[in-house]
Amino acid sequence: MKENQENVSFYESEIKRIRAICFSNDKQLETVIATKNFIDTNYEKELKLEFLSHIRFTSKYHLLRLFKRYYGITPKQYLIEKRIEKSKELLSKGVSVSETCISVGFESIGSFSTLFKTKTGKSPSEFQKEQLSRNKLTS
Amino acid sequence: MKVNAIGIPVLDQAKALAFYTEILGFIKKKDIPLEGGNRWLTVVSKEAQDGPEILLEPAPLHFEPSKVYQEALMKAGIPYTQFDVDDVDAEYDRLIKLGVEFSVKPTAMGTVKIAVFNDTCGNYIQILETL
Repeated sequence: MKENQENVSFYESEIKRIRAICFSNDKQLETVIATKNFIDTNYEKELKLEFLSHIRFTSKYHLLRLFKRYYGITPKQYLIEKRIEKSKELLSKGVSVSETCISVGFESIGSFSTLFKTKTGKSPSEFQKEQLSRNKLTS
Repeated sequence: MKVNAIGIPVLDQAKALAFYTEILGFIKKKDIPLEGGNRWLTVVSKEAQDGPEILLEPAPLHFEPSKVYQEALMKAGIPYTQFDVDDVDAEYDRLIKLGVEFSVKPTAMGTVKIAVFNDTCGNYIQILETL
């Protein structure tokens, strides 16, 4: 028994200790992980916090707090990140900027382009041009 | 300012390059010869070749405190560097087959799942999947 304890590294024992303190509420974890998974598969739809909270039978402010507590960002921020990530994939494949914008759930090209540039440092068309010329080089 | 390089101290640059490319799947990006056989050696993720570079630096060989720090982290089992993966279990299986040694098997921790392996160059590395 004692030998076993000695084999456990400091890091492993810290993982156990911190998990017991911070991540012992399985029900809350289940709620936020399910919400995040729902966003992952429905990012192109209009997702309102109220709708997300109904799925998990909680109030919207409670869900907002929980999500932020466990993921470090709000559901809205997560949704935007997801949409930007997906739009990068589409643009790299050669899908047009306007089609990409609609496919990932943004309502106007103007707001999509501005947001994309803020997050990635490039406009969607600049990003696409770069990716496509890169693809050509490697293929 | 942009984040474009993270350093990983390694005991042997050639061995590190082989492990990080052949086993982990990174791609060599820069290899600039410096004095004394040292190299400015970087690798990038295959999926994000314009993303941040990992600098495989021979610091523990030339700067004693770096060696001391690396050894202390190793002794405590602490990974100082972490990579994101889509599926920790799948990556664990893949690396185990390639003979990689894990100190922490896939473990759920809140909204993430982690595992820790030995990079054979003096470091523990953590892989992480967001659940």
